[in-house]
Amino acid sequence: MRPTTVVAAACLAPLALTLAACSSGTSGGAATAGGTSITVAASDDTNIQDLFQKVLIPDFEKKYPGTSVKLVFDLHGTNDQANYAKLAAATAQNRAPAMDVTASSVPKAAAAGLLATDTSKVTNLATVDQKVLAAGGPGAVPYRASSVLLAYNPAKVSNPPKTLVELLAWIKANPGRFTYNSPKTGGSGGAFVTTVLDSNVPAADRDTMTTGYDKALEKDWDPGWATLAGLNPYVFQKGVYPNGNNQTLQLLSSGQIDMAPVWSDQFISGKAAGTIPATMMAQQITDPSFTGGASYLGVTKASKNQDLAWKFIDFVLQPEEQAKVADKIAGYPAIALDKLPAATQAKFAGADTQNLRPGYNSDHATDINNLWDQNVPGK
Amino acid sequence: MKPSRRHRLGGLALASPPLILVAVFVGFPILVALAYSLGQVGGLNSTIGTIATEQSTVDAWYKVTFGAYRTVFADPRFQRDLVVTVLVTLATTVIVVVLAWGIALYVRLSDSWVAKILSALAVVPMFIPVVIASWAILTFYAADGFLRSIAAHVGIEAPIWGYTITAVVIGLVWTNLPFATLMVVSGVQGVPDALIEAARDAGASIPRTVVSIIAPMALVPTVIAGTFTAIGTLGAFTVPYFTGPNAPKMLGVDLADYFQSFNLPQSSVVMAIVIFIVASGFGGVYVWANYRSAASSGRV
Repeated sequence: MRPTTVVAAACLAPLALTLAACSSGTSGGAATAGGTSITVAASDDTNIQDLFQKVLIPDFEKKYPGTSVKLVFDLHGTNDQANYAKLAAATAQNRAPAMDVTASSVPKAAAAGLLATDTSKVTNLATVDQKVLAAGGPGAVPYRASSVLLAYNPAKVSNPPKTLVELLAWIKANPGRFTYNSPKTGGSGGAFVTTVLDSNVPAADRDTMTTGYDKALEKDWDPGWATLAGLNPYVFQKGVYPNGNNQTLQLLSSGQIDMAPVWSDQFISGKAAGTIPATMMAQQITDPSFTGGASYLGVTKASKNQDLAWKFIDFVLQPEEQAKVADKIAGYPAIALDKLPAATQAKFAGADTQNLRPGYNSDHATDINNLWDQNVPGK
Repeated sequence: MKPSRRHRLGGLALASPPLILVAVFVGFPILVALAYSLGQVGGLNSTIGTIATEQSTVDAWYKVTFGAYRTVFADPRFQRDLVVTVLVTLATTVIVVVLAWGIALYVRLSDSWVAKILSALAVVPMFIPVVIASWAILTFYAADGFLRSIAAHVGIEAPIWGYTITAVVIGLVWTNLPFATLMVVSGVQGVPDALIEAARDAGASIPRTVVSIIAPMALVPTVIAGTFTAIGTLGAFTVPYFTGPNAPKMLGVDLADYFQSFNLPQSSVVMAIVIFIVASGFGGVYVWANYRSAASSGRV
């Protein structure tokens, strides 16, 4: 062999290995061979990761010895779009997807028919609110919920606004002391935007847009966009909308603003952890109230191990596990509050955990992200 | 086989793994994305085609549509953000090159320990992750940040730069300066002492020496530093995402928004192609500089 050939072969070898590794990777996916192991895919912040990894999954494996649950977690949901595409592709080709139970993009997957719809296997569904259940779409099972509240600094705000009209008046009377995160980066800002838009949307149109998609109805939002753009000179630094729920909370905690919409669960657990000063307060406004919603679980239609997957979902909805959801991440339980221990019930005094004003259908929510970006900042 | 030909084949074989890797994992996806931007939603684009909204599509493989390009260019948001991105790129590049030259000349013409420390400090940002640096810059220039706190102590009202384009430029200069400094310092150090001393002996002032002797000899590294800064800045995401305003945004942030948050991947791909075209303009300058340096040393 000539020296050059040896060198060339040596150079090509790693490439061949790389290609081989790639091709073996694509045929992998979830280990769903037996009937005893399932994969749960979830995405969110670390609190949700802990909830699955340290509470729900160990409890399930303890209750059903011999089963094993694998968690695939995507921190902050940065790969949600890609994972959803993988699920869609696997279902289209009728191959086992990388997950049996999914906790990400569930309503979207339900609407696209990617979920198994046999929810009758979930016996604990009886006390789940029907409206919340329906909002998820076919096959989506709510397992925790939260709503957006108006948080404020009582040292600066003695008489917090009780309605949306009062809130808008307060923002204009106190320039620079309020902001919300851009809707595309987090639901707390999204709920504020939705609520302002909703004050001009007829109830019938709103119902259509909650469950379905009708772009023509989006013209109802126009007065709302004008209101939001009109707030630019009065929000933090004359029009700064931070990226993400957490940045808003940091601005509030460091005293740079006095009022902001926040997620109930992030606010309660932030106060418990000390990242939010204990003196901060939060309350719901009315007419309309800030939106809230459930987080859903679903069994993937192409999963080869659906029975165990349904068993897992049913287990999560048991009162004991629901109480742990409430304690661990301050999430509203998905089942009726009176099923839970009294101590847990006391935690949510004043928050109507079952009566949540739902947000828009996910396609409309995407349009809100886009239209907000077009109509509000810098106008 | 003639020896020269064998050499050429051997060279090709040596270069082929990276070439194949680039062709398969970079070149091919670019072609697929290009086809998607021209309306092809079949084949490899079928998954994204079913998820995305508001696409311009064609119904046969040999057809193309420029609908997606028309939509993007008609969007006033894109026009605004394209202008801002190019302006930020130019401003950052000019500032980086000027600062790098300042450091390089100081190190070249002064032998003090201050000069040595300065050239070492200029490289430090290279070892700090961009995410952390962006956060630091944001909090440093925030309304309650270090700059304003210090200014307030001496009775001055300093501007708030957090969440502004100014913060974006500061952040991009910060991240790009180390590489540019390394390039320009090595270029300026490479000018022989004999030439500088000869010019000084002939009565040339220091500015005259810089303009007529040092600058022409360090031109190629400067152009390389400038083009790398420009190309890196053009597609920047982390710094403008963290420190910049909600509007106007740089195109790197727009790309992510359109793709992830607005579910408009076709528009996102169109913008990526626009960035690519602008960047290849800067890339052309880089190729020219490389060619010039190779020609001057007799390699081509």
